[in-house]
Amino acid sequence: MIEFEGVSKTYAGSDRPVVNDLTFNIKDGEICVLVGPSGCGKTTSMRMVNRLIEPSEGRILIDGEPNTSMSGTQLRRKIGYAIQQIGLFPHRSIADNIATVPNLLGWDKDRTNGRVDELMDLVGLPPDQYRGRYPAELSGGQQQRIGVARALAADPPIMLMDEPFGAVDPITRDRLQNEFLHIQENIKKTIVFVTHDIDEAIKMGDKIAILKEGGILAQYDTPENVLVNPASEFVQSFVGGDRVLKRLSLTRVGDVELEPPTGNGHDLPRILEEWSLRDALSEIIGAGADRGVVVQNGDSNGSSSGTITLDSIREISHGAGTPRG
Amino acid sequence: MLAFFQAEFAPEDTGLIDWEWLGDNFTEDVVPAFFQHIFLCFVSLAIAIAISVPLGILAARYRWLYPPLTAVTGFFYTIPSFSMFTILLFVVGLSVGRTPAVIALVLYSLLVLIRNVVTGLDSVPPETKDAARGMGLTDRQILWRVELPLALPVIVAGMRIAIVTVIGIAVIGAYIGAGGLGDLIFDGITRDFPTLYITGAVLATALAIGADLLFVGAERLMSPWSRRARGAT
Repeated sequence: MIEFEGVSKTYAGSDRPVVNDLTFNIKDGEICVLVGPSGCGKTTSMRMVNRLIEPSEGRILIDGEPNTSMSGTQLRRKIGYAIQQIGLFPHRSIADNIATVPNLLGWDKDRTNGRVDELMDLVGLPPDQYRGRYPAELSGGQQQRIGVARALAADPPIMLMDEPFGAVDPITRDRLQNEFLHIQENIKKTIVFVTHDIDEAIKMGDKIAILKEGGILAQYDTPENVLVNPASEFVQSFVGGDRVLKRLSLTRVGDVELEPPTGNGHDLPRILEEWSLRDALSEIIGAGADRGVVVQNGDSNGSSSGTITLDSIREISHGAGTPRG
Repeated sequence: MLAFFQAEFAPEDTGLIDWEWLGDNFTEDVVPAFFQHIFLCFVSLAIAIAISVPLGILAARYRWLYPPLTAVTGFFYTIPSFSMFTILLFVVGLSVGRTPAVIALVLYSLLVLIRNVVTGLDSVPPETKDAARGMGLTDRQILWRVELPLALPVIVAGMRIAIVTVIGIAVIGAYIGAGGLGDLIFDGITRDFPTLYITGAVLATALAIGADLLFVGAERLMSPWSRRARGAT
């Protein structure tokens, strides 16, 4: 658990705080996304957790202990750190990059090597092929994977991620996000995740902390509640006019109650169970239909588990927060 | 006409280079001069590096140090070499020999070395340093494990310029008794004996080229990543 207790930051020579009296808790195993326009202090807030920046007021507790109870470098070795610009060491091989923190902690060679291989497999870069390469020999997406792997290296319970998928194209970003959510299901890290992109916040966050200029916490809640009950006009305008659609993107087709399959449904669009309602809606409207056949996988012979109608999607979009898939 | 003069005034009518003389005196005169020269240059460069790297690191950290540092070392760099030797002998009052030569060569190297250390450290991507700090490297670890290795190609580029400059200026050091290849060249000129000064000039040139290649090779050996990075698409 990470607890912000009245945390403020004012830089020397300025009378306006960049972070203003932040108080909130991040539960173990949750992804907390700090989101907001530029100048809202989200990165500053994140960097105060591992004391790359020291707060001017207030304190941050980690598992009940103030994060000042040990030296900054010791603290940082226990907290994963991944940033948008990645910051891989250009002069070190991929394996050495990932091994950075284990080496600082003095792990023995076998343990470190084993861990490096494990992580490279986890992020989908086969060690036998990529271990000895240098960062410049990898694509942007591969570098970001290595950045995340490096942050995970010493298996820290807490991770700080500052737009970790920011430097790649939208398609690669989407894939990296999905992969990471998949990984997170197993590793259950407590994550402080910074982004300026509300869509990414909604997708990645268990909780979203929306900050506004001057580092003021505008709302701290689940993505569903932020979309359904924006706490202020600022939040409402920040999440955008398409918040109904955004909510639909939070629910998977497989998680809603379907209507029984109809006759043949040959001319109806195929909807995959793993799609979001938003994708389903787009597919159905795009096909000029009023319903779609839900199938378990891409195979068109796959068994249909039911149909989903525009009406049912509309109903869900009006309803209260739906459980997430 | 020309042939007549040569026959009259050249020590021996043997063409431009007297190979026989060279063969007889190679180990006695040429080889020691060559090694003196190498010693003079590399000792000077080593001292200059030992001064410049810490100063460069400080100047990169504490920016206000940089302008006065380049002003002073830049001033040394602009002094013509004969004037520099004269100043060291008559103003500072050093006696003829190796010491004033070494001092002069060190002073000439400082500007380019310090400037390249600072430029090299500046070229380290800020995100790389941030990532290093965020993972819990101490300032010293960041310097030794991240900043200096990444600055190395630029620092070595400075060393290459410095050693080539020093090898050239060291020739003039013979004028104040520093020894080295300059002895061959000055002697050859005074005695109007081309074999001597051509040998000196050729060896000085070869030494400069060789030293340059040596640093290129060392840099490639120490930073394989920089070439792999450049070759990557």
